Amino acid sequence: MTVSVATSPDATRKGFEKSAMPLGIVLLIASVLASLCVGRYEVPVWRALEIILGGLVQPFAEHAEIDERIVLLVRAPRTLFAVLAGAGLAVAGASLQAVFRNPLVSPQVLGVSQGAALGGAFAIVMGIWGLPLILLVSLGAVLALVLVGLLAGIGGRSEMLTIILAGMVVGALGSALVSLVQMFADPQSSLPAIVFWLMGSFSTLTWERLWVGGPGIFVAVAFLYAMRFRLNVLALGETEARTLGSNPDRERWIIFALVALIVGSQVAVSGIVGWVGLVIPHAARLLVGEDNRRLIPTAILFGAAYMVLVDTIARTATAAEIPLGILTAIVGAPVFALLLRQYQLRKAR
Amino acid sequence: MRSPLLATLASVFLASIAGAQEINLTDMEGRAVTLEKPAERIATFPMPMASVVVSMDGGIDRLVGMNEQSYAAHFEGLLGTIFPEAADIPFDFVGNGFVPNVESLVTLSPDLVVQWGGRGNDIVDPITNAGLSTLLVLSGTEDNARGSQSLIAEAIGKPERFETMLHWRNEVVAAVEAKAAAIAKDDKPSVLYMLRSLSEITATGRENHYNTWYIEMAGGISSSAELNGTVPISAEQIAVWNPDVILLNSFEPELSVDWVYDHPILSQLAAAQEHRVYKMPIGGYRWEPASQESPLTWMWLANLLHPEVYDFDLRAEMRSAYEFLYNYEVSDAEIDSILRMDMQGDAANYAQFRAQ
Repeated sequence: MTVSVATSPDATRKGFEKSAMPLGIVLLIASVLASLCVGRYEVPVWRALEIILGGLVQPFAEHAEIDERIVLLVRAPRTLFAVLAGAGLAVAGASLQAVFRNPLVSPQVLGVSQGAALGGAFAIVMGIWGLPLILLVSLGAVLALVLVGLLAGIGGRSEMLTIILAGMVVGALGSALVSLVQMFADPQSSLPAIVFWLMGSFSTLTWERLWVGGPGIFVAVAFLYAMRFRLNVLALGETEARTLGSNPDRERWIIFALVALIVGSQVAVSGIVGWVGLVIPHAARLLVGEDNRRLIPTAILFGAAYMVLVDTIARTATAAEIPLGILTAIVGAPVFALLLRQYQLRKAR
Repeated sequence: MRSPLLATLASVFLASIAGAQEINLTDMEGRAVTLEKPAERIATFPMPMASVVVSMDGGIDRLVGMNEQSYAAHFEGLLGTIFPEAADIPFDFVGNGFVPNVESLVTLSPDLVVQWGGRGNDIVDPITNAGLSTLLVLSGTEDNARGSQSLIAEAIGKPERFETMLHWRNEVVAAVEAKAAAIAKDDKPSVLYMLRSLSEITATGRENHYNTWYIEMAGGISSSAELNGTVPISAEQIAVWNPDVILLNSFEPELSVDWVYDHPILSQLAAAQEHRVYKMPIGGYRWEPASQESPLTWMWLANLLHPEVYDFDLRAEMRSAYEFLYNYEVSDAEIDSILRMDMQGDAANYAQFRAQ
């Protein structure tokens, strides 16, 4: 294997294509278990495993012991949501990249996250929580996407630069409107709530919140997974997609709605988490190539594992919670730079 | 006044009178501030300073503008009852991050503006450029609280009132510290003060932090002393600390001690099991930041942490303090409300505060 790296990059990728999926599954299971066993409160690993097993066997049992509560009521919902959020953001990024035929787009670059934030800030000021909050956040996400689509012309002919610029414009508008909403928010109650929520953190995750935000992400990820072949067709471009008997307009809108549902659910529960939608699809692309039939499941697995690991660091590294946005950027940016460099090298060969 | 000579003479005369009253201050950023006469119209940006002005004066007439959060505290606490006329005091001149809206500020024609120091010149220069005398104050420690109170008292020409309060502060510190020295380390409960609870949980470390200072003075050990500044923490971290006593902030109006008793993790900890969860009172101002009422906070906490050691007559102390600070005779019902007897009257060691 090491020899083939030096001699033939294509052979390497062939090797990864087969091993990426099992590797992702192992990584995900390992990170979830590690996340449940590690934390500020010391629960011995064997005891944590025993508690997890107990929780699986009797999910509705009363938890009397403090260590049971820590593992099952604090860590478990948080870890599960990290799995969903990571998988969702990664697959949302990969899908958008296919639809826009542009490797640089992600929910944040396209202004979708900012649109979602606007919907959420508005909802918090109005005192709206729970499911209606998610609907408003998703609506904000959809509106932002539609606006970017209209500005850039999504008919397959739109240029990379136009899309990115349109996303920047919409994102800037969204951020400005969020600031405007903050100006009118009550400084005692809703303003701190908005500020904290925008920073992005899973620290307030409970089972109730998981049930509010989780199902939407799960359904949308499942649908996008099912549409992975369609994404390949869309990535070919307008004419080719029509020639192949597909209805690109309708499918694009379905994908937008699914992406908005993912970003909306995730942002509604845990605020803006950046970088995952950009870094993970690229990492997956380097491992398994452009084919979305492999890329989508790989991105799902690696995105989930990555988010779980980052969140575990966020809550265990120091006594204070580290905002997720800081970690995803600090880990994400160098990894992205490294990937970019390798990609260039490979192309040069 | 027809003759220009007479006018000149008159203005020289007036100026000399003013000179006799001139007040020279050095604010907490080391800036020289000169007032021609004791300030009569004061606008305050820092939250605690509005009630400091009221207490140093013994009335609210000099306060012409305050922060929206001071306004909220005013009407949430006792001052709203004593001075309902504050309803008309504007707060629209304080923008996000204490940025002044100078035009709104100028319409109040203040002769003194109190602003935060240590937060850069951007929130100060617009005020001084408008030609307004600006006094910068700091917070976060007992020394800073004393410094800022002393400056206000001097600015309004009532330094003797600050002297009285300073004496009271020193007296209570001495009384608390004298007995705290005899408390064995093992008998000191660990105390967690949470600055915020509902949207997120935050706590503060020891460095330059007033809350840690008085918790330790009153014979407690601060659970969160290891933190650096004010930062978000998780319930799991609190479980690690397992504090004996939990103090909840007075800033979040919807926050009640039930939040702890209903919390899946916090309800399992020593503080909840022993019913030693208390929400900070709010009198003329909130009791947790340093203010003119701080000695009441110290006595309240000392009595709570060590009822076998301290026996301050808190209700009597409150009566005489409010008499002096606000010229107000506080009723038993009002004291009950300040101490939140409805919410936490049944908490451990709280019966001592009931009306006899």
